Amino acid sequence: MKISAARGHRAARVAVPIFPGSNSEEETVRACLAVGLHATLVHWSAGPAALRGYDAYVLPGGFAYEDRIRAGAIAAHDAMMDAVVAAAQRGVLVLGICNGAQILVEAGLVPGTGPARRPTAAFAPNKPGGRFVCRHVYVKLSVPPDRCAITTNLRAEEIIPMWAAHGEGRLAASRHELGRLHRSGHIAFRYCDRFGNFTPEATPNGSPFGAAALTNKDGNVLAIMPHAERDAWTYQQRDGAVRLDARGDAAKMLAPAGGIRLFAGLARALGVKK
Amino acid sequence: MPDLISESSPTTFAIGGRSDAQLQKAAHDAGLALSVEELRRIAQRLGRDPTIVEIYAFDAQWSEHCSYKSSRMYLRRLPTDGPTVMQGPQEDAGILHLGTWRGERYGIVIAHESHNHPSQVVPFEGAATGIGGIVRDVLCMGATVIAVADPLRFGDLSVEHSRYVAQSVVDGIAAYGNAIGVPNIAGDVYFDAAFNENALVNVVALGLVKEGEIIHSRAPEGSAGWDIVLIGKATDRSGFGGASFSSLALDADDRDANKGAVQVPDPFLKNVIMRATYRVFDLLRSEGIEAGFKDLGAGGIVGCTAELVASGGYGAIIDLDRAPTAQWNLPAAVIAIGETQERLCWILPPSVTPRVLAIYNEEFGLPMISRGARAAVIGTVTDGNEYILQWEGRELMRVPLDFFTGGVRYERAAAQPVLSAEEEAPRNIEIADVVEFVLGHHDVCSRQPIFSRYDGVVRGTTAIPPGYADAGIIVPIPGAPLGCALAVDGNPRYGKLDPRRAAELAVCEAVRNVVAVGATPAGLTDCLNFGNPEKPEHFAQFVAAVDGLAHAGRELGTPYVSGNVSLYNESATGNAIPPSPIIACVGTIADISKTATCALKREGSPLYLVGRPQNALGGSVLAAILGIDGVLPSIDYASLRAQIALMLKAYDANIILAAHDVSDGGIVTALAEMAFAARSSAPLGIELEPASRWAPGIGTAGAYFGEAGAFIVEVENESRFNELTLRNGASAWRIGKTIRDAALIVANKRYSLERLHNAWSATLLDFYED
Repeated sequence: MKISAARGHRAARVAVPIFPGSNSEEETVRACLAVGLHATLVHWSAGPAALRGYDAYVLPGGFAYEDRIRAGAIAAHDAMMDAVVAAAQRGVLVLGICNGAQILVEAGLVPGTGPARRPTAAFAPNKPGGRFVCRHVYVKLSVPPDRCAITTNLRAEEIIPMWAAHGEGRLAASRHELGRLHRSGHIAFRYCDRFGNFTPEATPNGSPFGAAALTNKDGNVLAIMPHAERDAWTYQQRDGAVRLDARGDAAKMLAPAGGIRLFAGLARALGVKK
Repeated sequence: MPDLISESSPTTFAIGGRSDAQLQKAAHDAGLALSVEELRRIAQRLGRDPTIVEIYAFDAQWSEHCSYKSSRMYLRRLPTDGPTVMQGPQEDAGILHLGTWRGERYGIVIAHESHNHPSQVVPFEGAATGIGGIVRDVLCMGATVIAVADPLRFGDLSVEHSRYVAQSVVDGIAAYGNAIGVPNIAGDVYFDAAFNENALVNVVALGLVKEGEIIHSRAPEGSAGWDIVLIGKATDRSGFGGASFSSLALDADDRDANKGAVQVPDPFLKNVIMRATYRVFDLLRSEGIEAGFKDLGAGGIVGCTAELVASGGYGAIIDLDRAPTAQWNLPAAVIAIGETQERLCWILPPSVTPRVLAIYNEEFGLPMISRGARAAVIGTVTDGNEYILQWEGRELMRVPLDFFTGGVRYERAAAQPVLSAEEEAPRNIEIADVVEFVLGHHDVCSRQPIFSRYDGVVRGTTAIPPGYADAGIIVPIPGAPLGCALAVDGNPRYGKLDPRRAAELAVCEAVRNVVAVGATPAGLTDCLNFGNPEKPEHFAQFVAAVDGLAHAGRELGTPYVSGNVSLYNESATGNAIPPSPIIACVGTIADISKTATCALKREGSPLYLVGRPQNALGGSVLAAILGIDGVLPSIDYASLRAQIALMLKAYDANIILAAHDVSDGGIVTALAEMAFAARSSAPLGIELEPASRWAPGIGTAGAYFGEAGAFIVEVENESRFNELTLRNGASAWRIGKTIRDAALIVANKRYSLERLHNAWSATLLDFYED
């Protein structure tokens, strides 16, 4: 496994590329900044060259290119993605959230079991009904932490609260491929209830195995459907006890919490010391 | 589309020389909503017959939708000023003070509109363009758009067209709001057969702006010679005659014909326009340039540019050939007045225009996003009062702007409204007989199947998403403890009984909703949805409701900073909607750590009722279920002010664990919802004292299911709470406590919360998820 070396001598630089139709760029940048990453929005008009030389890439949510054909399908073939694909193949860390995850799957970077830009799986329309669903969820790390570079510093089976907000988040692949993804540790996070139980009700979209996130073989790319960056502060925690604990303490209420753990994992993997 | 505007037709609309009857017929045939009297006034002032473009421009500009010609004199009765007001209702949106952060004063921009007629005819597009329009209203104040909310009134779900409307409206709101990336944080929905032929789709949007960075919808001082810059979608045939269409009663036979009047939404383009516009804001601020900015809505290019320059005291010359179009053979009237969506208009000094054009056209590549979309200079601001529109070397319009944008005013006859009786005898009921029917009633049951279709958390600033409390809360400035709460209200069952009292009750409930989460009410918007104002009995309802709003606003010290009037919500067969004043309330929060949801938190906590039940069952869900009559709850403003003061003091003292407003379905419903909300994290139940202990003299029906406004509060420190109650002159009763048992227990009878939850959660789930 080749993972780009952590850089101790300067703040890790993270690019957040945005496509026409992206809509979660602000909260994504905010979560990166909160964990000590130097995050920069890179606009589609800046061209692929503007994406070179970053330590990691975080693809935000939204509806890139209006979800034409399939969610993520057009953006995956945008010239901007050339830089991301090339970097991922060199072992640079890439995190895709929601539409960003759909783009990574369409670009073939995850599960990465085929050649680049030849997807072997997809995030298909939710079941039942193929409707957009916005729901608070919990996900559990379902692979050993060191299976994926971004999760290396999380606890085994760590449970993280997030928001599912998508219409196409059901993992789909051939039955053969699905079994392989499950067995070989590609399904990095699975939906669970707040106690960590895998129940059908905990999965908002009918995804098999409750799959919420996929990683690639080398573990440097993570595509996750639910939004950790929208459950990243104490005031956003849906667990009443957490907010109660911060009652009357504005600093505590505004402090990072919950979903910020995913970004903290990314920061630690990039050598940011907490 | 009327024949009159095609190229081969005459270029003027003949008024002189026609009899009233001939003129009326000609106007009707041309699809004009203007009256004979209005047509004659136009010809008289112009001193000639108007051109075809002029007559359609007047038709849009003088429509009820644009000119508020019936309503304006009554709307003046509303209080619009106060210490919380940063800007009152003179532009597309009002602005309320949020607070100060790092030396900067921030305002919350709020706009409130209806998109009722379009949503009845083509519900998906109608609801989607409703969001699109309201977002532009907020954007053009120089604000970042931070939230939307949708009050919805649908017909009886057993009627096929009502089901179609109810499904498609939700789909349209979701498709548009989710794609542009603005969280939907509040909203309500009622179902009533009276909305079968006229669904109501209201929409509210919030924005954030620094006080010193507000942009106004007018040509700035000294702007003669500046550029008028149109941005957005290329003009096409969609949305011609929308303003007039909104000002006529809906005729089912015309449904197909009316479809052409509805605009086509493009949320993908809007997403990019919003982001490009934020970049333009940055440019103008860094250069210290004051510009004018306004969205295109009713009346299209002419309506928008005329109002922009007129409100700055200027005139304009518009060169229609320079407006980007999507089709080559569009008639001039369509380009001039059509309501193609996703367009806005800037007034810019020529020195900055090239850089603004570059941001839209190159950096954000509008032409790549949507065919023909772009920013283009279409005219020049001029000194004087004349509005001139040119096209292909011809002059299509030359009108005095004060006359054109000043519109007309009517003093409509208003019959005396019928007032409801004042007394109601106590009535008793067994909880067990009705509780599941009340919780499962379509106006009470869980709204989650609708809310979950909307992205409530995009932008990552949502503290309380819809359905978790009485109001949604946004923390709009990252790192700042300031919060903004939003709630909407307006009960059509109350409107049927007494429009004035219904209006007051809507204000009281919207205010209570933001207080329930710990926010201080800052201001209101009103969207007044009524029937045909030309019918005295309908117009009387409108006038009564405005009086109710004015009274409630004054009593509670909450000004109205924006609003909208939607009249003619009536089918051709004369079926009008119930009087529906719909209110939005913005509350501000100085410290986000002093808020709560309605979810119960701890075992053994005392539960207090702040407020007093009444025997009044009129308009209640219980009355609807039992088929009984009654009177509407009365309002004691002094007592409500004391309740609000108590709640906010108790929040400040950190002794409120959870709070919920009592409304549809009464106290039992409110208690059950507090337990349901805690279900996933703290499985708690409630032991409720019998009503005889906390509601003496009130029948059990009124006590348990009456809808007189109140709060239920889970309290941490009882002695402190009682002390605050006394000190604020409020009345609060201890009505029970929380227990570690998933049940509601009243007088030794146990109701399983599981069973109640099933009744509450199933009704809309079956409809929206099947």
